[in-house]
Amino acid sequence: MALLELKNVTKEFGGLVAVNQVSLEIDSGEFVGIVGPNGSGKTTLFNVINGVFFPEKGNIIFDGVDITRLPPFKRAPLGIGRTFQIPRPFSSATVRENVAVGAMFGTLSKKVNVDDSLEIADQIIDRIGLHEYTGKQAGTLTPVEKKLMEIARALAMKPKLLLMDEAMAGMHPNDIDQMVDLIKKIALEEKIAIVSMVEHIMRAVVGMVEKVIVLHQGSKIVDAPTKEALEDPKVIEVYLGHPPEETHAVS
Amino acid sequence: MFFEQITGNLIQGLVLGSVYGMATMGLSLIFGVLKIVNVGHGAFIMVGAFITLWLFNTLGLSPILAIPAAFAVGMLLGLLFYYTTMRRLIKAPELASLLATFSIGILLEEVIKLIFGSEFRGYNWAVGKLNLGVTVLPMSKLYACIGSAIIALLLYIWFNKTRAGTAMRSVVEDSEGARVCGVNVDGTYAMSFAIGIGLTVVSGVLLTMFIPVGINPYMGGGYTLKAFVIAVLGGLASPYGAFFGGLVFGLIENGSYMLFALIPGVEPFALTRFLSFVILLIILLIRPTGLLSTK
Amino acid sequence: MKTISKYYPLLPVLAVYFIMFLVGKNVSGMWQLVAMLLFYCALGQAFNIFLGMTGYVDFGYVAFMGVGTYGMAVTITQLAHVEGLGFLVITIGFLMALLFSTLLSLAVGAVALRLKGAYFAIATIGVNEGLRFFIEGARIWNGSEGLIFMAELNQILGRKTASALATFWADIMVLFIAMSAAYVTLLFMRSKIGYALTALREDEEAAKVMGINVTKYKIIAFITSACFAGLLGAASWALKTPYVFPPEVFEIHYTIEAIIIVLLGGAGTLLGPVIGGLIYGLSKYYLSIYMPGFQLLIFAPIIIVIIVIFPEGIIGMLKNRFKDTSLARFII
Ligand SMILES: Nc1ncnc2c1ncn2[C@@H]1O[C@H](COP(=O)(O)OP(=O)(O)OP(=O)(O)O)[C@@H](O)[C@H]1O
Ligand SMILES: [Mg+2]
Repeated sequence: MALLELKNVTKEFGGLVAVNQVSLEIDSGEFVGIVGPNGSGKTTLFNVINGVFFPEKGNIIFDGVDITRLPPFKRAPLGIGRTFQIPRPFSSATVRENVAVGAMFGTLSKKVNVDDSLEIADQIIDRIGLHEYTGKQAGTLTPVEKKLMEIARALAMKPKLLLMDEAMAGMHPNDIDQMVDLIKKIALEEKIAIVSMVEHIMRAVVGMVEKVIVLHQGSKIVDAPTKEALEDPKVIEVYLGHPPEETHAVS
Repeated sequence: MFFEQITGNLIQGLVLGSVYGMATMGLSLIFGVLKIVNVGHGAFIMVGAFITLWLFNTLGLSPILAIPAAFAVGMLLGLLFYYTTMRRLIKAPELASLLATFSIGILLEEVIKLIFGSEFRGYNWAVGKLNLGVTVLPMSKLYACIGSAIIALLLYIWFNKTRAGTAMRSVVEDSEGARVCGVNVDGTYAMSFAIGIGLTVVSGVLLTMFIPVGINPYMGGGYTLKAFVIAVLGGLASPYGAFFGGLVFGLIENGSYMLFALIPGVEPFALTRFLSFVILLIILLIRPTGLLSTK
Repeated sequence: MKTISKYYPLLPVLAVYFIMFLVGKNVSGMWQLVAMLLFYCALGQAFNIFLGMTGYVDFGYVAFMGVGTYGMAVTITQLAHVEGLGFLVITIGFLMALLFSTLLSLAVGAVALRLKGAYFAIATIGVNEGLRFFIEGARIWNGSEGLIFMAELNQILGRKTASALATFWADIMVLFIAMSAAYVTLLFMRSKIGYALTALREDEEAAKVMGINVTKYKIIAFITSACFAGLLGAASWALKTPYVFPPEVFEIHYTIEAIIIVLLGGAGTLLGPVIGGLIYGLSKYYLSIYMPGFQLLIFAPIIIVIIVIFPEGIIGMLKNRFKDTSLARFII
């Protein structure tokens, strides 16, 4: 059984259909990339999965439970972690406290108390390599540091599914490679399924994901293993605006 | 007989409502563009009332002439407070702008108290009455109503037919998008705040034409609450919604006063004010985007 | 050892209260001023639990003090004729104050706490006025004539005890309320509640996505803060001045004072409201002697300056200043 299943999910804003009849399945521990041009509905899809918006149509099933109408604060503890495209730290709190919040509220276990959470936070912060910032107010970090902090905060929730909304945009390519390796390692250890999205087809996706889902104007146009997906003429058309002339348009 | 009384009440309610509506347009304009709730709204109405009073009592000028004067003063106050205070708070947490506008309101009240004292004042503008058969309407109220309608119309034209108005609408829709498209967003904010305050101060003039007594530095509080009810009725961010919200509210207020007066052993005036608070809560509960809005 | 160090931040708070108490008790003619300062510190600490910790502005906050005052007043007037209850009446009065403020906070919270930011502020701005006009309009509790219960209080406690209560023991109760509010604030800060409140204050949507039931925590802070206000009304208003008139106890002025105190000292800090209350109370006292009638004219621009230039308040600034020093564990 798939970890996450979307059935014909549609989300509209006024007249604009941001997510159009999308169905997809993500398995436990799977690494999936979601790509699509600006405004194609990637962020909205994430918002629908973790409950920021409710869809007009369709169903969302997570871990065998229909969560379509569940408020976000009830979904997170089921195992849905999330980072934001534009970072949203709890600015006045320290990095350590931010990450601890994830551990404190993001799991189903009611027994995680404040001290435990701070301990979990310390471990994760070390792992992500944020220890020098641990006592800093999150609002004073640089955008890239904020994104790292968000990854740590989401990992502290011990998610089964981690939704990363352009979590590595703006990072140096070398750092991205390192980050990808690290996240992959953690995810394998903890059996986390990762859905990562990137604005453009880039090395992070290629290096990390097994499967690529391509959105275009709210609709899913491709859902295939990475290599296959990247060579799909429809994908190339979406990105280049015309059908491919050479097969190596994307590399 | 009963029918006549109802019709009379409807007319009175609509006349009152048009002024209420006008008195809320500034609040909605500022919220729509800057996403700031002007909690000191009533204090600006009070400033308008004092301008009218002063012009009438010391210079003998008609309240109609107080309208442009009030607009000018309001624009100046708006620019002053925008550039000294509000501008720095646009991106700040809501707490900051709420408390800032609240404090500006207090500041205005205290300054006016310093200049004019805190006793209740009034003026007497005798311009006759109009007998409509079902009800008698003082001409001053009629002027206030006509004035409100004209100003609402002018705002509509300005919004839809001028460059600055179009810029303002684009900022309401999407301030980042507007910035990208070359709209001077900061200038638009300043302009909107100034016009919003200008309209509010003018509404103070019109309200005194309606009720030319009880003018004192602390008269604004009640109007702030009413304006919130009206704005929320019309969907906080829309000045025209506010105008129609005002009409509805005028009808409700007039009608409920009449009904409460029939109940023995209660104070209808106090209950009417309580009712406006209840209406506010109910609307916020069932439809925070406003009863009259389409969203 | 670790558990004791958790309570270090209470030390400065208790020290300030202790000094105030000593000064009031030993310097002749000072008790009245100290009583006023205690009231403002308590008010600040009570309001801070909601305003400071959640970042939501409740413009109708004074209504909780108002109903608390009524809770005590109604109890005293109703029970005056029952023989031999003595101080039990006062205890019941405080319970009624708690009950009234809890009920009101549930009613207001049920509507207002569903709303975000500005809409919340709008919903609350009419609460005090609304209640006032309800009591006056429907002639509840003697309507606009209010309740006067000096005679009843004398009858219950005896003239001498009643007067000692009004001039001294009520203030000690206020002190007790202030210290309890400080303690509860610290408990919150050190528990999940504090983390949840900080998160939702900074970014409500992100807080939800992290699994925080924001409504629940807002309600906890709202009711707690309201209950302290109710107790404060009962102790400071009903017992010190044994009468209650709707326009006085629902006067928005007290909400304004509470806001100034919290902001001045530092919203969301533990020591802030105490310092804010002290500074505000002292300046109000001396301004009312040397420049009567000008307090608000002076305070309004000060709030604006605080908001624009140093929104974190005095303790907020000190906290950052002493961040990595040994003083840090005392100043939060
Ligand atoms: N809260 C909202 N209200 C109205 N429209 C929205 C909202 N959020 C997104 N949209 C619209 O939905 C469409 C999809 O937006 P979305 O942010 O999901 O795209 P995206 O693929 O994440 O784009 P990007 O690459 O720029 O992040 C866009 O047209 C956007 O304007
Ligand atoms: Mg996006």
